[in-house]
Amino acid sequence: MIQDILTDKKYLFASGANTELRAQRNLNRRAVLLNGALVGNVRTEQFGVSARVYENGVYGFSSTAEYTDETVKDVLQAASENAAFLARHAGKGKGPHKAMAPGRIVTAYDLTDVEQRTYIEFAQALDNYIATKYPDLVSRTVVITCDSMEKLLCVSNGCDGHSVLPRSYIYVMMTAMGADGKPVELYKVIGGGYGTFDKNYTKPEDCFAEIDKLYDRIQQKAKDGVYPDAGTKTVILGGILSGMLAHEAVGHTVEADLVIGGSVAGPCLNKRVGSELVNLVDFAHTAFGRPTPLPVYVDDEGTAATDAVLIQDGILVGYMNNRESAERFNMVPQGNARAYLFSDEPLIRMRNTAVLPGKSKLSDMIASIDDGYYLLDTNNGQADTTGEFMFGVTFGYEIKKGKLGRPLLDTTISGVAFDMLKTVDMLSDEMIWASSGMCGKKQPMPVGMGGPAVKCRVNIGGR
Amino acid sequence: MIETLKKTAQDAVAALQAAGADKAQASVSYTVTHEFNVDGGEFSLFRTLFDKQLAMTAIQGGRKGVVAQNRYDEETIAESAKACLEAAHSAQPDENWDFAPLSQNEDFVLGEVKPDTDKLFFRCQELMAAVKERYPKIIMEQMIVDHKEVYRAQANSYGVLFSAHQGCYEVQLMFSGHDGDKASSFFGSGVITDSLDKPFLELGSIAEDFENVEKQIETTVVEGKFQGTMVVMPGCVGSLFYSLLSDFAGEGGLLSGTSPWKDKLGEKVADDRITISLAPLDERIVCGSRTTGEGFRAEDFDVIRNGKLNAFYLGLYASNKLKLPRGKNDSFNVVVASGDTPIADIIASIDKGILVGRFSGGQPSSNGDFSGVAKNSFLIEHGKIGPALSETMISGNLADMLMRVRDISSEQVADGMSVLPYMAFDGITISGK
Repeated sequence: MIQDILTDKKYLFASGANTELRAQRNLNRRAVLLNGALVGNVRTEQFGVSARVYENGVYGFSSTAEYTDETVKDVLQAASENAAFLARHAGKGKGPHKAMAPGRIVTAYDLTDVEQRTYIEFAQALDNYIATKYPDLVSRTVVITCDSMEKLLCVSNGCDGHSVLPRSYIYVMMTAMGADGKPVELYKVIGGGYGTFDKNYTKPEDCFAEIDKLYDRIQQKAKDGVYPDAGTKTVILGGILSGMLAHEAVGHTVEADLVIGGSVAGPCLNKRVGSELVNLVDFAHTAFGRPTPLPVYVDDEGTAATDAVLIQDGILVGYMNNRESAERFNMVPQGNARAYLFSDEPLIRMRNTAVLPGKSKLSDMIASIDDGYYLLDTNNGQADTTGEFMFGVTFGYEIKKGKLGRPLLDTTISGVAFDMLKTVDMLSDEMIWASSGMCGKKQPMPVGMGGPAVKCRVNIGGR
Repeated sequence: MIETLKKTAQDAVAALQAAGADKAQASVSYTVTHEFNVDGGEFSLFRTLFDKQLAMTAIQGGRKGVVAQNRYDEETIAESAKACLEAAHSAQPDENWDFAPLSQNEDFVLGEVKPDTDKLFFRCQELMAAVKERYPKIIMEQMIVDHKEVYRAQANSYGVLFSAHQGCYEVQLMFSGHDGDKASSFFGSGVITDSLDKPFLELGSIAEDFENVEKQIETTVVEGKFQGTMVVMPGCVGSLFYSLLSDFAGEGGLLSGTSPWKDKLGEKVADDRITISLAPLDERIVCGSRTTGEGFRAEDFDVIRNGKLNAFYLGLYASNKLKLPRGKNDSFNVVVASGDTPIADIIASIDKGILVGRFSGGQPSSNGDFSGVAKNSFLIEHGKIGPALSETMISGNLADMLMRVRDISSEQVADGMSVLPYMAFDGITISGK
């Protein structure tokens, strides 16, 4: 674990300014097998210390890869000088952030650093299973990843902290030859989530059933896949897609820095943005009585993390903030200021963002649609500050007269979030979480996202 | 500094060999970054970063392992060498792993290695003032402007020893247009430059991008669905070709066997007017890489030359495994040859189509099928650029598209990372509501 040489530097914090010191270690372990060949076998570590100083409405920041008493003092001084430079030229006449109750939140513990051999042998076992059982595949890829962030935080105003956030996943990608002679692809995240690899995976055999399901789906897609009819359609978004909707199409527009930048959420606060069934929350560390996929207990500004309720009964009721934006919008900061590496400054980021489940049964939702689609898997999602979104859809089914029909080939759906949410008329009573991806916003960041099956109207691309 | 890093890289190679590596490579870098940020139209952050990187690669008995750290003291090098060999021991042997043989070592100096921080800040202020005055409907959601000074050394067990000391400025802008509660989609623009002689507004396509986005606040929706011509703006050409070159000519598609071009080296894959090069040495590319990650001296090469597939974009491992020539650099500095027709004349020749500034789509399939939303785009009707569009989808196939080139503009945009023209493709499916 990171040794604390920060706390005893608090005497160096300047009065009249907000100061954060953060030492951080990021570990990444990765093994990649492509058609049985080990094309990725990498272990990386990034470790260092940074300081950020807030003065007169602007920030100075500095970081270094050396973690010693001297370098801690150096980055503090450099961050102060940078803040002073910017304050001289572009200061905003603001004082320090509002005082917060001091405290110390410690959730760190020693992580198991699994040997590289374990990842490779596990991946080889999965690859052997696929190669032996499904020799007709055009290609197969098995990826095992484990990453972690350990942060030691020391602040002038708020909570100090020491936390770890480990996660590990297995990805399996398959390519099969389609009926038209063109390859079709699918991938699946098998198990995983919060925790190091040894905590999430015991033996390869436990993954075989999920691999079989993936093969079954790609065979359906390859043999019988059809393109959907283009146009505005009634669809059911599966939980993976509704989670992406929560994150990409709504979540980003209600990050306060993007609101200040002119996002569609600015004029919509306290207005209806969805049907009465729609509720959306960015959970901090606990949801529905259980830990969230990637729990955050204290953010990198020293704010104790709490849930941010964003949409309540279809009304936009809040934003996600850092300390500065919360003061601007007269809201309470809830722990959304997060940095990816030691050399990154905290940005407003999501944590575990989800559409809340409703009361409908999925079977009833399907039965209620005469002509539409049930969309299950995605490989990509983007949205902009107008709320217009686009998701790639890699698997789904037609719905004809209340029953599932033929499988779908790759397509795209799009819409405008605050229009589309008003068309939501059914939500399933079960939800799915996903946490294997990285959100991109100047820096990457591990995030969780989730949701139930959502019945709504969207544009679907067809071909 | 450079001599110290060269010795460190050689020490790391020696440590790997001492730990049992048959072949070894190490790269070491030290980077100093000065960066200004604007958020929501106001200066928000000034940061200075001091970063180190060490990457060590070992091959032992055909087994390869890689370890990367951001420290390179003696103890770290020794520990990393041990970890690297442990990682390699876990791998299965593959005789295709290798590094570049010794050719001619060199020390490179590129760009403006030391920052003029005061002038950099002045150029930032100047840009913000110009936007306020000339483009009053633009809100700068984020501006990130930095200078990176990089010292880098690379060595391997064949005796390769390169170094580089380089510096350049990068401008990254994210902005949108606003009029009351109405807003355009956001748009990203940027350049890399090694000179602060010109205002940022005069570089790349920044000024044109501001103008376009101001026109995109009011949008209309295309009625129905039609086959038409898609004119792709230079910045968007780069993102489309990234997918194309990665999936069709890159290692992923070729090693997996899914690339539709896998058996087409030397054959026609595009319209005769298309030449696509990867050219880090082009004089319009700023601080393009002079060496590859495997220790070769970088050279420019054409992936497609006059419509024929001239080369794949392969590293040494894939080259050895597939028995195909390797790509002569591993940058992604794309240069697309210009055509003969001014963009205004290309637009004037189109009866119905779309001018696309950004494509927001799913990852194209390995067969080249793509579909997505045309963002920051305009309708083209009767030879004129019409209203901006929203909720308009485009779909097609990347391979087919290359064969259906209508025209390529005589103008190119050079942003320091790429040199790209406007390109017009027929037969694209365009659908609205």
